[in-house]
Amino acid sequence: MEDDRAFTHPLYDFMARMPGLDVATTSVDKLLTWGASNALWIFPMATSCCGIEFMAAAASRVDLDRMGTIVRGTPRQSDVMVVAGTITVKMAPRVKKLWDQMPEPKWCLAMGSCAISGDFYRDIYSVVPGIDTFLPVDVYVPGCPPNPEELMHGLLRLQEKIRAFRAGKPRGAAERPPTPEHMRRPSLPRLDDPTRPDELSLLQTQSAGSLGHGTEMNLIELRRSKAGEALAAKLAALRAPAAPAEPAEKKE
Amino acid sequence: MELSVDPPPEKPAKKPAAKAGPAWLIPGAVAPIERADPYLDIEDYDPEADLMVLNLGPQHPSTHGVFRVKLYLDGEIIVKAVPFAGYLHRGVEKLCEKLAFTQITPIVDKNDYVSPMMNEQAINLAFEALLGAEVPRRARYLRTLVAELQRIGSHLLWLGTFALDLGGALGGGSTVFLHCFRERELILDLFEALTGCRFHYNTHTVGGNRHDIPEGWASLVKQALAVIESRLPEYEELMTDNSIFVKRTRGVGVVDGELCLELGITGPMARAAGVDYDMRRDAPYHAYDEVEVRVQTETAGDCQARTLVRIREISESIRIVRALIDGVPEGPICGHKPIKIVLQERSAGGQAYAALESPRGELGTWVIGGGVNKGTSPYRLKIRPPSLHAAACLPYVLPGHSVSDAIVILGSVDPIMGEVDR
Amino acid sequence: MKGAPKNEELEQLLAAEFGVTEFPSDAPPLVDRARHLELAARLKALGYRLYVTVVATHYLPQAASKAGPEQPEHFEVATALRKPTQGGTLAAWRCKLAVGEGIPSLVGLFAGADWQEREQFDLVGVRFDDHPDLRRLMMPDDWEGHPLRKDYAIDTACTPWR
Repeated sequence: MEDDRAFTHPLYDFMARMPGLDVATTSVDKLLTWGASNALWIFPMATSCCGIEFMAAAASRVDLDRMGTIVRGTPRQSDVMVVAGTITVKMAPRVKKLWDQMPEPKWCLAMGSCAISGDFYRDIYSVVPGIDTFLPVDVYVPGCPPNPEELMHGLLRLQEKIRAFRAGKPRGAAERPPTPEHMRRPSLPRLDDPTRPDELSLLQTQSAGSLGHGTEMNLIELRRSKAGEALAAKLAALRAPAAPAEPAEKKE
Repeated sequence: MELSVDPPPEKPAKKPAAKAGPAWLIPGAVAPIERADPYLDIEDYDPEADLMVLNLGPQHPSTHGVFRVKLYLDGEIIVKAVPFAGYLHRGVEKLCEKLAFTQITPIVDKNDYVSPMMNEQAINLAFEALLGAEVPRRARYLRTLVAELQRIGSHLLWLGTFALDLGGALGGGSTVFLHCFRERELILDLFEALTGCRFHYNTHTVGGNRHDIPEGWASLVKQALAVIESRLPEYEELMTDNSIFVKRTRGVGVVDGELCLELGITGPMARAAGVDYDMRRDAPYHAYDEVEVRVQTETAGDCQARTLVRIREISESIRIVRALIDGVPEGPICGHKPIKIVLQERSAGGQAYAALESPRGELGTWVIGGGVNKGTSPYRLKIRPPSLHAAACLPYVLPGHSVSDAIVILGSVDPIMGEVDR
Repeated sequence: MKGAPKNEELEQLLAAEFGVTEFPSDAPPLVDRARHLELAARLKALGYRLYVTVVATHYLPQAASKAGPEQPEHFEVATALRKPTQGGTLAAWRCKLAVGEGIPSLVGLFAGADWQEREQFDLVGVRFDDHPDLRRLMMPDDWEGHPLRKDYAIDTACTPWR
């Protein structure tokens, strides 16, 4: 996901060694781009209400299939993960694990405000404040839940992004508009936040990796580990300066 | 599994009625099944057996959300099933303790996300009982109408996803799915015309409704119902007349009436097992005391019976809507003061419980008044989800079935995880 | 108890056999927690066969005020059963528990109490004695604290996920 190069293939290396085949390479590249953007196989990470609207989008009236999408039940055959619904602390390591099982190149679409920011559940003890605190999200589709048409629009934007990526545009460079001061940041730094501590990604990967080995979450163990303690100190430092900024905002 | 036609033996300790069977079971209801032991210590099981542990979920296309069942398999036969919930626990009850009574309706919309109208009505019934608010007659009619329309939509969605669970047996499964979603969109269009939203409506409030019936809505409803009714025989053909469907569902996942009541299961699942109980008829709320409700029951208690009950409930709901749509009385739709400020509803204390018949059974709300901000919030709120009780039957029923039957049973139980976990 | 019609049968039973004298109009009657199980069994024999719900509530200690006398920290557990026949009569009662006290589990009588009691144990932290499988239902197994207690902060952080 951090890899900024365009999609590579052994075929390319072979073609590069054959003189005079530039034209063919370009054509093959175009063909692959056409295929990659028009045959999105979706893995629906549907947890709640948005999952029902996703089903409505896949069903008769809107019919996502005409865009070349197919809904697959397994991450190993999919290109796009559509996270539709609230992700809780108990579910998050499983989502991360499923994401890690998807083959590259893969894309992530956050559907609905719960997946984007946690919506009105964002302050609750059990809800992850937005999936971009642990997944690299490519397209955000806002709404509660978004209409099927809006989801379709999101997928069209994703196709544009895939084409740009295949044309050589670096993937991680999509500009996020600066968060205004009056808007609250999630309680965890996002994945593209420069202040994000390294231990956070490490612990999230460990938490997802410990699944299926007899341990349920390892929450307490993780928190008491060396990395967990370092992370707690860093997060406390991150959250501390944000506190006096709020009253200053209210005075204006 | 054999279906007995004999009524279950009468319990000697029971007081009421000298009838042939218990008053709550219809004659011919399925005999009590042999319950599996949900607390079976797997170490005590045959040590020779080569057991395999299979985790079904939490992300599995047929678990209807994020539900996990840990299956201990001997060959292909389930020995023990341990369900795990809580993968969608969003702390709704804690959140409601911080919010004013007027702010809670859009929050609970998201609980049972297949029938949001029911959540709003259930929570507002409890608030009205606690705060002593009167609901005008027009609003009660309107609530009955949207409740029945929502029931049609919810059952249609269930039918479609259940067909997907059955998979290849029904023409790839997606035939019925596509049919059902086509009809469900008609219901959503009606709600969109009424409230402006496809999904989460926020149309009920303490003491009435927010959105009055728009002009011409009645004829739209009639048109949509005519279309749905004309297509119901198609579903019967695709599902219940399909021999593969019958083979996969008849005698599978039998839950008897006694077990239903003990587990707290209500709604179509209990009625399929011969429990003749429906809150719409037996403890009427809204305008159900002014309309005849014919309770649909079956006796077999298996997956096929649940399908039949739900399909028949669709046509019953169509009949109720038709009976009411022309006689909606004139008048205000909110008898209480309309919402001007958020903190306008106040309760000094007291406890209230109100329930209604959601598409999955008794959806109740227990609310204790006198919370923060001088009683403008509930002190404690507890939602009684019908799906939680329905899903709790799995450890009793699944053992003895194969894995493919487990999918069918899970689908026919119809648990909505937003409601189970809240 | 608001929202449900007055249950004469239950009140007579409680007054005659369980020594309950107070029947407040806006809350279920209080029953001694030692007789909780006995009452449920009596009601089940009377035809209240549908298990409805159990609600545990946490109350913080309160100083004496106009509203009432001084109250130590305590829990209240309300249980409701229903007759699945015409009228759908609801029978509800409360038991008061001090901190550290448990309440008999109803799983032996009503299998449906299993998950509801596990949920209340998980979220409120009330112990149900003789429950065959008292584990957390909603939160992960190694979660600390009981979220629905009044002294539990709603936005408690849980690294590394929130």
